Order: sequence, then C-alpha cells, then structure tokens
Amino acid sequence: MKSLILTVALTSAVFASSFNKSDVAPVTNELYKKECGSCHFAYQPGLLPSKAWNKMMLNLSNHFGSDASLEEEDYLSISRYLNNNSAEKFMNYKRSAKIVDSLRAGEIPESISKTPYIIKKHRDIKASLITQKEVKGIFNCTACHTTAQKWIYGESDVLIPNYGKWKD
Amino acid sequence: MKLIITILSLFSISFASVADEYLLTLAKQAKSENPKFSGFDTKRGESVFTSKHIGKKGKEISCTSCHGNDLNKVSKNYFTTKEIEPLSPKANPKRFSDIKTIEKWIRRNFNDVYNREGTTLEKGDVVTYIINK
Ligand code: HEC
Ligand code: HEC
Ligand code: HEC
Repeated sequence: MKSLILTVALTSAVFASSFNKSDVAPVTNELYKKECGSCHFAYQPGLLPSKAWNKMMLNLSNHFGSDASLEEEDYLSISRYLNNNSAEKFMNYKRSAKIVDSLRAGEIPESISKTPYIIKKHRDIKASLITQKEVKGIFNCTACHTTAQKWIYGESDVLIPNYGKWKD
Repeated sequence: MKLIITILSLFSISFASVADEYLLTLAKQAKSENPKFSGFDTKRGESVFTSKHIGKKGKEISCTSCHGNDLNKVSKNYFTTKEIEPLSPKANPKRFSDIKTIEKWIRRNFNDVYNREGTTLEKGDVVTYIINK
C-alpha cells in the first residue's frame, strides 16, 4: 500500500513537472490531428491567435500554395476547435503568451514563423541550415525541435539536421 | 481461428468494394460523358501519375514527387518532408477504404499537380493504376 501511494505520488510529481514545462497547450482534437496533421505535424492551436487561424482557414484551397480544402462540416468543426484553443486564450502557457505579446497592435500574422517572437528566436541560425532539404523552412518545427510534438520548444531539445545540438 | 479468418475476409471484401464502388461511379460518369468509353486503363493511369506538370505553385511537379516511384514504399512529402505511408492498398490496407477520403485527396492532389481538377477519365485511370501496383 505504501509503495502504491509512493508510486502515485511520484507519477503525479513527474506529470506535474512535465506539465509545467510544456510550452503550449497539447493538441486534443482527433479530427484536427487527422486533417491538419496529414501534410505536416499538427501545429498546436496555442501557437497563433484566433484572428490568424481564421484568416488561414478562409483560404484553405490555396494554403501556402497547396490545396488543403475541407468538407463543410469538418471545416466548421476545426474552425471552432482552433478558436476555442488559440494563443490569446492560453496566456498561462509561456510560448502562447510570448507569441501574442510580440505582435504589433492589429497585426494578423500569415503563419507562426512570421510572428515577431518566432522570427527573433531563429534569426541566428544560418540560412543554409534552414533551407537544407531535411528542413526546407522554419515551418518545419519538428525537423529541429525534437520535443515539438510533446508541446515543448525549449532550445535544449533542439537538434538541427547535419549540425547537431544548438549552442548559443 | 475461424473467427479471425471470417474477420479478415470481411475486411478484404469491404476494402475491395470501396475502390470498386468508386470506380463504378466514375465509369458510369465516363460513359455518359463519352458513349465510346470502354473502360479505365492502367497504362494511361501510369502516365497521369508519373508525368510532370506546372502545378499550383508554378513549379514542375508530378504525383511521384510526393508518393515516390515505388507505391509499396514509404515516401516523403515534396513540400514538407513529412513521411507518407505507401499509396498501394497492397502495402497499406488503410488506402481506398473510405470514399470521402479518396475524393478529398484526389481533388486536392490534382489541383496541386495539374493546377485544375482531374477529369473523370484521368481519375478512373490513375486509381486503376494505383490499386494494381
Ligand atoms: C495538403 C497539405 C496540407 C494540409 C492538409 C494542411 N496543410 Fe498546413 N501547410 C501545408 C504546406 C505545404 C505549408 C507551407 C510550408 C512552407 O512554408 O513551405 C503549410 C503551412 C502551415 C502553417 C504555417 C507554418 C509556419 O510557417 O508557421 C500552419 C500554421 C498550417 N499549415 C496549419 C494548417 C492547418 C490548421 C491545417 C488544417 C486545416 C493544415 N495546415 C492542413 C500543407 C498542408
Ligand atoms: C532549423 C531548425 C529549426 C526549425 C525548423 C524551428 N526551430 Fe525553433 N529554434 C531553433 C533553434 C536553434 C532555437 C534556439 C535559438 C537561440 O536560442 O538562439 C530555436 C528556438 C525556438 C524557441 C525559443 C526557445 C527558447 O528556449 O527560448 C521557440 C519557442 C521555437 N524555437 C519555436 C519554433 C516553432 C514553433 C517552429 C515551427 C514553426 C520552430 N521553432 C522551427 C531551431 C529551429
Ligand atoms: C504535395 C504532395 C502530394 C502530391 C504531389 C500528390 N499527393 Fe496524393 N497524397 C498526399 C498526402 C499528404 C496524402 C494523404 C496522406 C496520408 O493519408 O498518409 C495523399 C493521399 C492520396 C490518396 C489517398 C488514398 C487513400 O485512400 O488514403 C490518393 C488516391 C492520392 N494521394 C493520389 C494522388 C495522385 C493521383 C496524385 C497526382 C495527381 C497525387 N496524389 C499527388 C500528398 C501528395
């Protein structure tokens, strides 16, 4: 019994600490994971404010030059999910808050990689490491951030292809 | 054991029928568009799949840019590097199991590669090619 309690306590401690470390709220919607995770990993809704998501959703048939159009019912359901979980509603998560705070008044960014905070964080990386064929662009968070799918973007978990760990 | 076999055979029956059902609908449509239509063709489908075109992004691209030349193998998305599971239903039983999914990707992918939707004949030919690979 004692060991059971200990295990439970330890597990919840581990859980709590990893929870505090997570940078953005996790992705919880299965339809979103399926539809918006088929061409790239499913970006956490907390990486953009709702105005930016809405703008992107209005143009899915020309989504960064690709056709990502959806059936009406899926479109409505995913739009709702993005709106309910966008960055400005989760300011208790570090990266959501930093992204929102970096925007100029009235600014609606085209993408996550075009937000001032994300631009600033990546400006010291050599261009050839970003454009190389294993990465292609900053959009490809998971190519460098090994824990991006666990909602963690800290620089200590970065591993750039053909370069290695990041040192400031 | 018998149960497993029954489940397996049910599965393959339902799998065959989704692709067949899709092709049957396309064949009816093709016939109404052109009374001389005499069936879909793997050879024409291969050319739909492997030929290069100026796509939606204004650059040369083909279906193989993302799905690779061997449809039984995992490939990489040409734009995003994300892995794509094999397109052939022989290697990947999840393929061609849902009409809505098939139509969605055929619509999107023709727009990306041909910068327009596929014709009935192109769609029927290319699907016939893929499911026989
Ligand atoms: C048909 C493939 C496809 C689908 C489906 C798709 N995307 Fe994309 N997405 C892309 C491509 C291609 C890019 C651009 C990558 C680049 O910058 O070269 C992109 C970029 C993005 C970006 C910008 C990343 C950055 O640079 O900050 C976001 C955010 C995004 N997609 C969200 C979504 C959402 C939400 C959905 C679901 C509604 C979705 N995507 C569905 C292909 C797709
Ligand atoms: C080419 C590899 C690469 C890609 C792609 C990339 N990052 Fe980064 N990212 C880095 C590196 C390296 C750093 C650390 C930079 C520094 O501290 O100077 C970093 C830092 C960050 C930070 C700040 C971390 C900290 O500890 O301060 C965040 C947040 C972040 N990235 C988010 C993203 C998101 C979101 C994406 C996708 C839209 C992305 N990154 C794509 C390499 C990358
Ligand atoms: C830009 C990359 C890209 C190109 C080019 C592309 N596809 Fe796809 N295709 C995808 C992705 C991504 C999926 C869905 C991924 C998954 O289900 O694993 C997909 C799925 C499909 C499916 C869905 C099958 C099923 O039932 O799951 C078919 C059929 C298909 N593609 C045919 C084509 C044809 C035909 C072409 C050429 C006209 C083509 N694709 C070109 C990326 C591409």
